Amino acid sequence: MHRKKIMTLALCITLFASVLTACGGGNNGKGQAGSNGETSPNSSNSTDNPYKDPMTISLGFWDADAEIANLEKDPIAKQVLEKFNITLKPVNLSWDDYTQKIQMWAASGQLPDIFAIDAVGTQYQRKWVNQGVVKALPDLSKYPNLAKYFESPDIKGLGVDGKYYTVPRRMFPSVDWSALDRMVFYRWDLAQKAGITKEPETWQEFEAMLDAIVKSDPEGKHVTGLTTTTTKMLGGFFWLYGNPVATSDGSGSDFKWIKEDGKFIPAVFSKNALPALQNMKNMYEKGLIDPDIALVKPAESYDNFVAGKAAALLSGGGFINLNSDMYEKRWKTAYPDKDMTESVKALKPLIGPDGERSHSIFKTYWSESYFSNKIDDKKMDRIMALYDYVLSPEGKDLLTYGIEGVDYKLENGQKVVIEKGSLNEKYPASRFLKNLVAYETSDSYNMDNPTIANEGIRKEAVDYIDWIQNNTKVPEYDIRLTYMSTPTKDKFTVLDHDDLLKIMLSKEPVESYWNSIVNDYKAKGLDKMIEEVNEKAKEQGIE
Amino acid sequence: MADSVTTRTPKRSLKTLAPKQSLGKTILQYKYFYLMVLPVLIWYALFSYAPMYGVTLAFKTFNYSEGILGSPWVGLENFQTLLTDPDFRKAFWNTVIISLMKLVTHFPMPIILAIVLYEFSRTKMKRFFQTILTFPHFISWVVLSGIIINILSKDGIYNQIIMLFGGDPNSPLVDESAFRPVLYITHVWREIGWDSIIYLAALAGINPELFEAAEVDGANRFRRLLNIAWPGLKSTVAVLLILQVGQLLTQGSSFEQIFNLYSSPVYSVADTIDTYIYRTSFTIGGDFGYMTAVGVVKSIISLILLWAANTFAKKMGEEGLY
Repeated sequence: MHRKKIMTLALCITLFASVLTACGGGNNGKGQAGSNGETSPNSSNSTDNPYKDPMTISLGFWDADAEIANLEKDPIAKQVLEKFNITLKPVNLSWDDYTQKIQMWAASGQLPDIFAIDAVGTQYQRKWVNQGVVKALPDLSKYPNLAKYFESPDIKGLGVDGKYYTVPRRMFPSVDWSALDRMVFYRWDLAQKAGITKEPETWQEFEAMLDAIVKSDPEGKHVTGLTTTTTKMLGGFFWLYGNPVATSDGSGSDFKWIKEDGKFIPAVFSKNALPALQNMKNMYEKGLIDPDIALVKPAESYDNFVAGKAAALLSGGGFINLNSDMYEKRWKTAYPDKDMTESVKALKPLIGPDGERSHSIFKTYWSESYFSNKIDDKKMDRIMALYDYVLSPEGKDLLTYGIEGVDYKLENGQKVVIEKGSLNEKYPASRFLKNLVAYETSDSYNMDNPTIANEGIRKEAVDYIDWIQNNTKVPEYDIRLTYMSTPTKDKFTVLDHDDLLKIMLSKEPVESYWNSIVNDYKAKGLDKMIEEVNEKAKEQGIE
Repeated sequence: MADSVTTRTPKRSLKTLAPKQSLGKTILQYKYFYLMVLPVLIWYALFSYAPMYGVTLAFKTFNYSEGILGSPWVGLENFQTLLTDPDFRKAFWNTVIISLMKLVTHFPMPIILAIVLYEFSRTKMKRFFQTILTFPHFISWVVLSGIIINILSKDGIYNQIIMLFGGDPNSPLVDESAFRPVLYITHVWREIGWDSIIYLAALAGINPELFEAAEVDGANRFRRLLNIAWPGLKSTVAVLLILQVGQLLTQGSSFEQIFNLYSSPVYSVADTIDTYIYRTSFTIGGDFGYMTAVGVVKSIISLILLWAANTFAKKMGEEGLY
């Protein structure tokens, strides 16, 4: 009996202990997040090597686990990190949940030392800055490449009270390059089979081409018209019909302002909105847009386009994604004997009702690095040094072209590739290290650059951006108004792609439905926001 | 007949047999059993009750650096904002409509299925149908929604049948008038088999001799159902109804189902409180204090519904939950 009691007591203690253990086990994130790793700020007095002390930096980045695991296989990336005596500790983010995870970590004080997110202009980013969640960048004069990086107008405009809190991932040197961010590719082979002989230049010609493909269905696959990889991209195309400044990246907070009837208003609410919406609705009703467009998923859309089930595809990432997501992953397996550039064409900006060729207009960067306010100045200095190096000409060349003399050589000031194999396979972490700081996508639009591996696609890419720069112009708008903070504007979002989709699929006439949408925005404070912004713009001398 | 339903009998006998003694003495007498309950109580205290201090956020505006406890109080400001927020109003009514309609369309279904399966004389067939109908419960909404989207898409079976009869293809997933029925139908399809198990168990607990006796007395199948099966099921139905009503605003407007199936064209009829909180908190970046206030309103409504259902069950002559 006594033994039985002891056994029962032992069981209870075990259960109790396991509960306590479970309670204590939930701090994994915390261990990674606020930790300063092996940093020992007072341990080194060395002046000759500022990076003598090893340092562990936790990093929240998309697929960080896999990317950082590749560092071991990449002599170049290893060399860069060894130079700064840094060990990166991954904190995984996925494309599906990165926003949610980071917001939860920010709320619970568990942010990694560095984390990546696209948050500029959002309510929570403003709070991070005002409430001390993210660390301000130190004086950039010590980091010349980084200082130069901040000279670009839309990056410079990110300052808050003379301080910067983020390093945006720059993609392009100017807004003109945004044309690459929302591109329509179309099946020229199907168009030719349907009797089309001229590449479309106007909206009418584009519609006529889609109509011919859909109606003749040359491969008998029930081909649909235009589809997209994600509905967030819709505005990037349909606003181009006479209202291009309304194009938005889908975040809801990057809306741009134009002056209409003597005051600044968000371009989405311009008089030009209605004809653009009507044009979109007409296309939908004529069967030139995929009827399942509201339910699209990226992989399926690429599959459908490559399989010839969609005549045109609106997608992001320009020719880099065309090469990787369509050519590498799908086309070369499906059609090994068919040159993709002969069958798939990039739609050049169409001539709109205003006679202009307009393309989408975004910021020159996408997503940003933020730094947890819990890291000390010494760690911040080391991170800035790493960022500065990656942005330096030496760092850029090393992470893009590989090792001089081994992977490339210089001939008359030009880089000539020696390595025949794929640099991505040889140095699997170099691109990640480069992307950690800046995408610099524009560097890939160069015949010497191996990023777009297929030379035919690379040639198209280079020609396309040259054409854009010579044949299109960016309409006027003031980015300062987009960044401006007012009480109502800080809480105001314009998810125009949702509105476009609603209008497209609604049975109501465009004008009345659009009016009801505008009234919804008014109920959320549209007029008040416009008033506040105009008042502040006047105070700041913005005309 | 009612005595054949066994749930009450042991409770009554325990009451009559237990010797009268103070709570302290009872605890001392069964100390090891109470000790075994302790970890569970600690678990509840730590993970269910302690986090409830977060509810205070509904009366605060969240400050990242101060945390929940340190964030400044704003009184009822968040609740006042709620009243003027058109999106919240829309989400609130959608939640109520979808939840109630799901209750009406789904709740009787597993009972009917259980009775039908119970009436199946062939055991193998009964098992076959039970397995087939229970299986969807184990597939997550993420996977199921993919299947449903494929079925209802332009090239899917649904539209092929529509076209066969000369109709115009359309997807009910992007049609405001058709989206909610899709929710109800798919919910019944996924849960009917699983939910019928408990009713089948209750039916299995009825003494078969009662059925045999009724048959000998000349009662037809319907009479047997009405006079023997239904009274045997009634108390189970009452308890499950209370539980379902209590969870109406959470499980009734199932987040996973709607979130995976809906898109912006149907937000006006499908955005429930849960999906609204999620979208606003994480996509747009709303204030956590305001979102907590939305959650609190939802909990209060759930509480009222639970109380109403319990009262209703008691009026039906059943015991209720409390």
